Amino acid sequence: MNDSKEDLDDLREAVREFLGAKSPETAVRAAIQTGRHDPAVWNQMARQLRLPGLALPSDYGGDGFGLTELEVVLEEMGAALLCSPFFATVVLAAQALLASGDEAACQRYLPGIAAGQTIATLAAAEGNASWDPAMVAARAQRTAQGWVLTGRKSFVIDGAIADLVLVVARSTAGPALFAVDRGAPGLRAEPMTTLDPTRTMAALTFDQVPAVLIGTEGQGGALMSRVLDLACVALAAEQAGGARRCLEMSAGYARTRFQFGRPIGSFQAVKHKCADMLVRVELAEATAREAARLADEAATDFGVAAATAHICCSQAYLFAAAENIQVHGGIGFTWEHPAHLYFRRAKSSELLFGGPAVYHERLLDRLGI
Amino acid sequence: MPDDLPQFAQQVREFLDAHAARATQPAEFRWGEGDDHVPYFSADPPQVEEQKLDAARDWQRTRYRCGFGWISGPPQYGGRGLTPVHDLVYDSIESQYDVPDTGTLSVIGLGMIGPTILAHGQQAIKDRYLPAMYRGDVIACQLFSEPEAGSDLASLQTRAGPAPGGGGWILDGQKVWTSVAQHSQIGMALCRTDPDAPKHKGITAFLVDMSAPGVDVRPLRQMTGGSDFNEVFLSGVLVPDDHRLGEVNGGWRVALTTLMNERATVGNDSSGPVAEALTPERLSALMRATWTWDDRALRRDLSELLADLMAARHLNARALRRMQAGVAPGPEMSVAKLMYAQNLTRAAHFVSRVLGPRIIADTGAWGTYAWAELLLATPALRILGGTEEIMKNILAERVLGLPKEPGIDTTSPFRALPKSAGGAA
Repeated sequence: MNDSKEDLDDLREAVREFLGAKSPETAVRAAIQTGRHDPAVWNQMARQLRLPGLALPSDYGGDGFGLTELEVVLEEMGAALLCSPFFATVVLAAQALLASGDEAACQRYLPGIAAGQTIATLAAAEGNASWDPAMVAARAQRTAQGWVLTGRKSFVIDGAIADLVLVVARSTAGPALFAVDRGAPGLRAEPMTTLDPTRTMAALTFDQVPAVLIGTEGQGGALMSRVLDLACVALAAEQAGGARRCLEMSAGYARTRFQFGRPIGSFQAVKHKCADMLVRVELAEATAREAARLADEAATDFGVAAATAHICCSQAYLFAAAENIQVHGGIGFTWEHPAHLYFRRAKSSELLFGGPAVYHERLLDRLGI
Repeated sequence: MPDDLPQFAQQVREFLDAHAARATQPAEFRWGEGDDHVPYFSADPPQVEEQKLDAARDWQRTRYRCGFGWISGPPQYGGRGLTPVHDLVYDSIESQYDVPDTGTLSVIGLGMIGPTILAHGQQAIKDRYLPAMYRGDVIACQLFSEPEAGSDLASLQTRAGPAPGGGGWILDGQKVWTSVAQHSQIGMALCRTDPDAPKHKGITAFLVDMSAPGVDVRPLRQMTGGSDFNEVFLSGVLVPDDHRLGEVNGGWRVALTTLMNERATVGNDSSGPVAEALTPERLSALMRATWTWDDRALRRDLSELLADLMAARHLNARALRRMQAGVAPGPEMSVAKLMYAQNLTRAAHFVSRVLGPRIIADTGAWGTYAWAELLLATPALRILGGTEEIMKNILAERVLGLPKEPGIDTTSPFRALPKSAGGAA
């Protein structure tokens, strides 16, 4: 597969068809009910579509495609509100491993991720909700038996089900990345109640938990900067896909809902709401796709594009999800209507990495001004 | 994608290397150095404008002589017979060279009216005007909008009736917001020829000789203080019947050809003084110079503004890449136009907040009061080339498939439609 549009369209079509069958609204609601994803779908995603390994290097069992292809997959997952450990495993954890430059760790963990056998996540934020590694309080100590971690992590996506937890913890040299296996002694996971029930989170407690250092001590700052740039683009793709779905729902409803003897979409007040959504969605898609392209080209302005995509897609999704409820009126406020699931996902995604309080300064920082 | 593009690109480079210099990189921005004007509309005195127009004509002649005057036009009228993709390739290569801006000739005349004459003109008219236009000798303007026909162009009221004794048509009425009319030799006029038909079905298009008796071009002074448009009064103007474009009462179809060829010039913000003024370096330098650099609210506004400016740029870049690959453009151009207007408006107001009182009275300090020029131009951006409301209707109806507002205006005789009080008869 190369950058050509036809190939991306084929990929999009395959993923959309798969998710249409495997992640319809009934499946999303079932996952919300049980609080966990459907392992059968996860397995099929890995075996049939090879999605977890799509953008991982072939040296580590992946198919060697780039963020451009992964972006397409994530747009579709966001549109379908797929409940899956894909984002935590393939984006957060796998990209943290790659960014560490730790060859042995990549050899050890990435093939399992690529094959869909390992569910993994990244535990960075703590009680103060910051993803800034400088704010990390969790401690790593070197003992005769190796490293041990002590502290608490919050907002850990899929933290209660992950086989592998990558933890940002502080040693005397500064923050660094550590690997902890599920079931390690001293590790406790508590599911958190979440605004967005389609993305589960956990609070993790570490009490002298044995861990393996990934990369080098004190490297956590640079590593997290790289991981956050990539995660912002991946999240932006999900957000763009979700926003597009909200727009489609609104336009579809505005075409078919009659009041005052006319489709409500013929009233300019409603029509212009939908046009405003379209404008934001088109921009959001452009920023997410462009950032993915620049990542694959290793362009110097990738960091700027990533921060831009994060801002534009956060705003677009929140706008589209909120306006979608308004276009639907009363029915859009009911539990049985899916509009609130998108609203919850949009709000939660906007604030996952800190939200406007953080992302504006990150853009100015990436611009070097 | 045409497979001769690499060879064509090579020819373009050879031509440009022989006739123009490579564009120099703009000098690194330093606060207080260089021209601090931020003009959206032209701000040149008449003699400078005249010089620039001469340079534009000369450059168009050179292009034409060397086979690049009308790349996608048919050979019998001086065209090269290639595709619109070749046009795009030429444009993107030429943008790397320092050549005169030919916008006065090309945006409306060569870009929109030329293709309309080609599609709907009678043979003698095509022979007479098309080579002359693309050779840079004839400039054309678009006589469409009227005081009583803005967003609703099809409600235009300029009348055209048969000349007494036959042999042509007599035109009476007023056109407005006409760009480049003062430089034009011909104008394409839409006129009402059957007021008893529904509004779209009683319009005829003509090519008007701008030097004919009864054509009066008057500059229109806009709110910036400058005059970048004209009013054109038509009083008993005689137009020969061979200057009619398309069928009698078939003018709406002709107008659609013109509007379809409207290049996405309005949403393109990649170059020019405004684009250069709205860079991260320039805006952050402004905040430093005004000691507002650590104002948290302004920093947040700056970030939001820059994010949207870059998003619009990404959208344009993707649209251009798709067009160069021969893919039909999607809604990107309409979206880009809307965003361009909104972004420039927000930028002007952001800069005003940074400047504070320095934009209400000129302290003489470099790079401060100069922004007033952009501030006063921005209201136009949400009106010209299709108002924001009309653009949103188009996006919602054509892209999202939302139904049109029901109305009688497209089915009733034009004469029977209610008109603004005090409007032209």
